[in-house]
Amino acid sequence: MRSRATVDVAVGASALVLEVVAVAARGAGSALRPVASVVLRPPVVPRRLHPARLLDVLGREGAERREPLREALSRRLDVLVPAVLAEVLRRAHLTEMVLRYVDLDEVVAGVDLDAAAARLDVEGVVRRVDLDAVARRIDVDAVAARLDLDKVVGRVDVDPVVARVDVDAVAARLDLGRVLDRLDLTSVVLERVDLDALVEAILGRIDLVGLAEEVIDAVDLPEIIRESTGSMASDTVRGARMQGIAADEAVGRAVDRLLLRRGRRATDAPTIPRQNDRTP
Amino acid sequence: MSEGGVSPVPREARPYQGQRAGLVTRLVAAVIDGLVVALVLSAGYVALTAVIFLVDPRGFSFPQPRLVFSLAMGFLVLVVYFTIAWRISGRTYGSLVMGLRVVGYRGENLRVVGAFVRALFCAVFPIGLVWVAVSRENRSVQDIVLRTSVVYDWQPKAAPGSPPAPG
Repeated sequence: MRSRATVDVAVGASALVLEVVAVAARGAGSALRPVASVVLRPPVVPRRLHPARLLDVLGREGAERREPLREALSRRLDVLVPAVLAEVLRRAHLTEMVLRYVDLDEVVAGVDLDAAAARLDVEGVVRRVDLDAVARRIDVDAVAARLDLDKVVGRVDVDPVVARVDVDAVAARLDLGRVLDRLDLTSVVLERVDLDALVEAILGRIDLVGLAEEVIDAVDLPEIIRESTGSMASDTVRGARMQGIAADEAVGRAVDRLLLRRGRRATDAPTIPRQNDRTP
Repeated sequence: MSEGGVSPVPREARPYQGQRAGLVTRLVAAVIDGLVVALVLSAGYVALTAVIFLVDPRGFSFPQPRLVFSLAMGFLVLVVYFTIAWRISGRTYGSLVMGLRVVGYRGENLRVVGAFVRALFCAVFPIGLVWVAVSRENRSVQDIVLRTSVVYDWQPKAAPGSPPAPG
């Protein structure tokens, strides 16, 4: 507190002195102006010897040498200023000074962030960023642990997202073979499928009787039975019967030809339904 | 063997099952039946002879029945044989061998009266069988009159009253 008061006193004294000096200078200026005019242009001295003329000559020379001097000075300053500035900054603790003396909020409030953002080359920035390195430094588990996914999902309107998804394209990219390889389809079917209903549905669509008859026809089961049992329809009897049928047809055709008949005989006999036959 | 679908009939014969049989098959069956009747008569003659021998061995001589008696006996045997066979299974032995069956006008087995009348008709007028060759429906005179049919039926077994197998 004492040092601050001392400084304040010093500053107040200096201000007072400066004010006095300024008043005095203004008064002296207005008082000395006629004197200066006489001094610079004495009435009795030839004009070419006037001090004002000498000042003009000096002024012109100064004007001529001002540009080279400025350039020389600029060159020296170019060398000198960075070095000095660096040394000053090194010792000045600029950050602390800025934090102490600069009202950053006001500065930021004065910045037109929209315009700055509009001028940003975001693409270029993104190109320059090593996203892999950034991603490696991110602790995804920690981020995920802090996420309240239920809340996030609750805020998402899934319908438009789903509407924009090309399911066909997604399905086309799926390697179904690998998916199926990873699935235990047998256990899935055993647990989830109503096998009884499935079998009933399949059996309902299969003509089991017709199928059995086709199979029996294919293997000629009656022939096997006949051969194994040696029934009445042995080869001799069957041959005799078939010859009898052939002879019947031959006789019938011969008689029909003799009687000038045309067409086949109507030999269909009436039948009644079998006991276990459902057709009328 | 189930009658539901599997047929023991050989494949080549199936198209004929249920069709009326022609003259040749029925003639062969009739001949076989004639042999059966003859066999029965012979057996009866042997039995009669044996009885006579047992009753009076000393005075034994082979019986010599008159022709009328023999014909009458043959006629009787034939009618009884046909009636029983057609009533029970629709088949005589000759029909069994040749794969035939006698059915009524609806395809059913004959009743006793029907079988008896047909047997009587066949015994009295056997030549009526020849009409099978002339008839466009392979029917004999007896079939036409009595509205019966003789069909191919190779099914080895059939319960009485069951219809012929259509193949």
